[in-house]
Amino acid sequence: MKILVTAKRVEDPESKIKVKPDGSGIVQEGLKYKINPFDEIGVEEGLRLVAKHQGEVVVVSIGGKEVQEQLRHALAMGAHRAVWVNHTGPVDQLGIAALLQKVVEKEQPDLVILGKQSIDDDQNQVGQYLAEFLGWGQATFASKVESMESEQEKNKVPAIVLTADKKSVQVIREVDNGLATVECQLPAVVTTDLRLNQPRYASLPGIMKAKSKPIEELTPAKLSVDVTPAIQVLKMSSPPARKAGIKVADVPALVEKLHNEAKVV
Amino acid sequence: MTTAPRPNPLLSDRDVDFQLYEVLDATSLCALPAFAEHSRDTFTLLLDSTRRFAREVLYPTYRDMDAQPPSFRDGRVHVHPLMRELYPRLVELGLLTATRPPDVGGQQLPLTVHAVSTAYLMAANLNVYAWLGLTLGAAHLLEVFGTPEVKATFMEPMYRGEWTGTMALTEPQAGSSLADVRTRATPAPDGSWRIQGSKIFISGADQDFSENVVHLTLARIEGAEGGTRGISLFAVPSRRPEGGTLVDNDVRVAGVIHKIGWKGIPSLALNYGESGDCHGWLVGPPGRGLACMFQMMNEARIMVGMNGVATATVAYHEAVAYARERPQGRPTGVRDATRPQTPIIEHADVRRMLLRQKAIVEGGLSLLLAASYQADLAGHGQDEATRQRAGLLVDLLTPVAKSFPAERGFEANALAVQVHGGYGYSSEYLPEAWLRDQKLNSIHEGTTGIQGLDLLGRKVVAGGGAALQSFAEEVGTTVARARAAGVTPEWGEALEQALAETTTVVTELGARGMSGEVELMLRHSADFLELFSVLAVAWRWLAQAAAAKEALGRGAPDADFYEGKLAAAQYWFAVELPRVPLLARLCRTGEDSYARMRPEWF
Ligand SMILES: Cc1cc2nc3c(=O)[nH]c(=O)nc-3n(C[C@H](O)[C@H](O)[C@H](O)COP(=O)(O)OP(=O)(O)OC[C@H]3O[C@@H](n4cnc5c(N)ncnc54)[C@H](O)[C@@H]3O)c2cc1C
Ligand SMILES: Cc1cc2nc3c(=O)[nH]c(=O)nc-3n(C[C@H](O)[C@H](O)[C@H](O)COP(=O)(O)OP(=O)(O)OC[C@H]3O[C@@H](n4cnc5c(N)ncnc54)[C@H](O)[C@@H]3O)c2cc1C
Repeated sequence: MKILVTAKRVEDPESKIKVKPDGSGIVQEGLKYKINPFDEIGVEEGLRLVAKHQGEVVVVSIGGKEVQEQLRHALAMGAHRAVWVNHTGPVDQLGIAALLQKVVEKEQPDLVILGKQSIDDDQNQVGQYLAEFLGWGQATFASKVESMESEQEKNKVPAIVLTADKKSVQVIREVDNGLATVECQLPAVVTTDLRLNQPRYASLPGIMKAKSKPIEELTPAKLSVDVTPAIQVLKMSSPPARKAGIKVADVPALVEKLHNEAKVV
Repeated sequence: MTTAPRPNPLLSDRDVDFQLYEVLDATSLCALPAFAEHSRDTFTLLLDSTRRFAREVLYPTYRDMDAQPPSFRDGRVHVHPLMRELYPRLVELGLLTATRPPDVGGQQLPLTVHAVSTAYLMAANLNVYAWLGLTLGAAHLLEVFGTPEVKATFMEPMYRGEWTGTMALTEPQAGSSLADVRTRATPAPDGSWRIQGSKIFISGADQDFSENVVHLTLARIEGAEGGTRGISLFAVPSRRPEGGTLVDNDVRVAGVIHKIGWKGIPSLALNYGESGDCHGWLVGPPGRGLACMFQMMNEARIMVGMNGVATATVAYHEAVAYARERPQGRPTGVRDATRPQTPIIEHADVRRMLLRQKAIVEGGLSLLLAASYQADLAGHGQDEATRQRAGLLVDLLTPVAKSFPAERGFEANALAVQVHGGYGYSSEYLPEAWLRDQKLNSIHEGTTGIQGLDLLGRKVVAGGGAALQSFAEEVGTTVARARAAGVTPEWGEALEQALAETTTVVTELGARGMSGEVELMLRHSADFLELFSVLAVAWRWLAQAAAAKEALGRGAPDADFYEGKLAAAQYWFAVELPRVPLLARLCRTGEDSYARMRPEWF
């Protein structure tokens, strides 16, 4: 089984993120970066699947040279090789999906796993676009029923289940009112939710092995994709500071305010 | 299970990066052939894994392990049930063999990086890390001194994480005085030895989460001379391999010691050979047991020092978070009781307590990393001269690196309790537990008293003063760096002055020792240890101040971080370093209050 997993570089939410005074972006100096946690879950799920069914996990990241750090992280976890699409300019979700489409066509995986969203822009679009571009089935928000402390989780059993004929996968997805199980024909696109698994910690032997795993370099030009964004970022700003609340005298006063001022009841 | 504690960073990641890459140049180690496979990337990935494992997996288990010590039933020790899961996961990270060469399955990681990675694990839950630390120490001894057979039989399963190890030195009559070890070894026809005797306080000597424990045991070969020269080292397993299985090796747990800290790992009294069937395997040459142990002592003591830092840093971060949240009182001068109370961090005296903790914790970490860095150079420096010089420096710094975090870390831990007020004294909060844990570090691996004797009686006078000379050169380099960076010149001058005073003390006391006045020379050894600690940490604070100034000078972001560094350095130079003249006077004059005091006057 060949599985392609994305590994986006995102700002570490632990570092202090500030918007530049001119609103043209965020202050990048001094920031720490990490692999998008949803993608890390994707890598883990991919590793569990190939541990069970054999095959290989290929990780892909799009960005400047620095995204190699996130690729190395995924390789240190156990992914087999990496694809780096070298691109430093602006790019939007459609551009990313178009680049991934070409990588998929080149790699021909049985399954593509992406995070349902990345924790920087929280867009939740790329997986869906990609499935559409490829004309593949998609199962978004893959989750699972076992608790994180279950034996299954401890034994790192995959939650995405390959059917007996190996032609499709069953995925449990998180939906508004609970869980839904869907079956998708392979090849397919799956996006991960936070409760899918608990990713492993890269071990020192794994980290050392990752150094000799290959990272193939591609570019938008090589993939013949025009990544000129359709979406333009005009300005960034911090959310307005919350104003101090007020105390109401009693419940009727609260209801009155909720009804007349907030207009929510 | 008790409820999860609030998140605690354990160590500041920012500070770790600063210490590794701005104060020291840890990546420069990668230029040495031994560490050529490493780069900042491998360090970062490993630190990332260990700190996350520490925070997400180990830390939430700490309180429960402290509250539920192992039990002793049917002659066996039963440890906290979580150990079954946690030990293999800890081993999986690869830290058992991390600093070892590839031929024993290691990755030749610099000790500097290993030490700081383990600090996160110890800060999170020292009860779990202790098993790994002990096993690593025992296996390393076998790696260096064991025969191929002993290595295959005992070292390999320990390095694979299947068995654990212990250091079995102490006996009731032989604690600080290991020369008095009485456990006996007699040769057996099969080439192994029969061991008989008793040990006490042996940490990790029994468990039920893996199949075997190997005790690295000091014993005296039948007929050997008295004193340290008669002591040999043996590998003595709890269960010995025989006929393809493990059979009982006649090592009995005679009792469990109830103690105030490190509650998750049992400290045991052991009886060897009650039935005359305890087999041991000689490690290293006969009569060289203590010498073999001592060869590993620096690393072991550096780990104890790191534990002191770890136990103080977790409490420090808890205290800072608490002080930001706890409203109590109003700013000085405000009488208006209708004004809301301010968080206690607004009170200058609370900031005094926090800054003192920061200065001890981060000064201690810096000292430990400087010592580890020299240990890396001592083992793998490019030429013999570098290795020798670094070796002398590690020897010199080790008693300080071991005892400073233990003694002043205890003070920092007490301050963390104090910042929490009455809540700190209650077991609903964690600071009291860390205070209990910390106390051990001034007792095991050589008490502080023994470290003082070692420093003054041996280390500062080593190589005819060559060690102290090298230390002076290191200080000189730092003073020059600080001056160039624009650090207040008074600090560098004060440090040079304190160093000169220390050198005078050493020369005078050394002369006394040479003329046979040994008691007078060593009378204030503990005060000298304190003096040297204050001096060495001042050196580290000057290095940190220099790096902070350099960063501010180049307009680096995160000015708050660097300003905090400068304030802590200022504290050290204003409050701690001025104690050097007093301590120096005690040492030089041989002030005789302790010496004159007679036992019957107490
Ligand atoms: C929790 C715990 C775990 C331990 N784990 C281990 C272990 O795994 N393996 C192991 O072998 N041991 C272990 N020990 C034992 C530990 O190493 C000893 O307790 C320590 O070496 C001190 O010996 P002692 O307790 O006999 O004290 P003593 O040697 O009796 O010391 C008592 C006091 O006298 C002072 N003193 C003693 N001799 C001198 C001297 N010559 N000059 C000046 N002052 C002196 C000491 O500084 C100390 O303050 C452990 C101890 C504890 C408490
Ligand atoms: C075992 C025990 C027994 C006790 N018994 C009694 C009892 O019998 N009766 C009783 O009434 N109480 C009792 N107490 C409560 C005790 O008196 C309080 O814990 C103590 O007064 C501190 O108050 P606090 O715990 O609220 O700490 P806080 O007042 O919150 O203090 C926390 C920290 O902030 C510092 N701080 C607070 N305000 C200021 C300020 N304005 N300026 C500078 N620093 C400040 C403190 O020095 C301390 O380090 C007991 C407490 C304990 C632990």
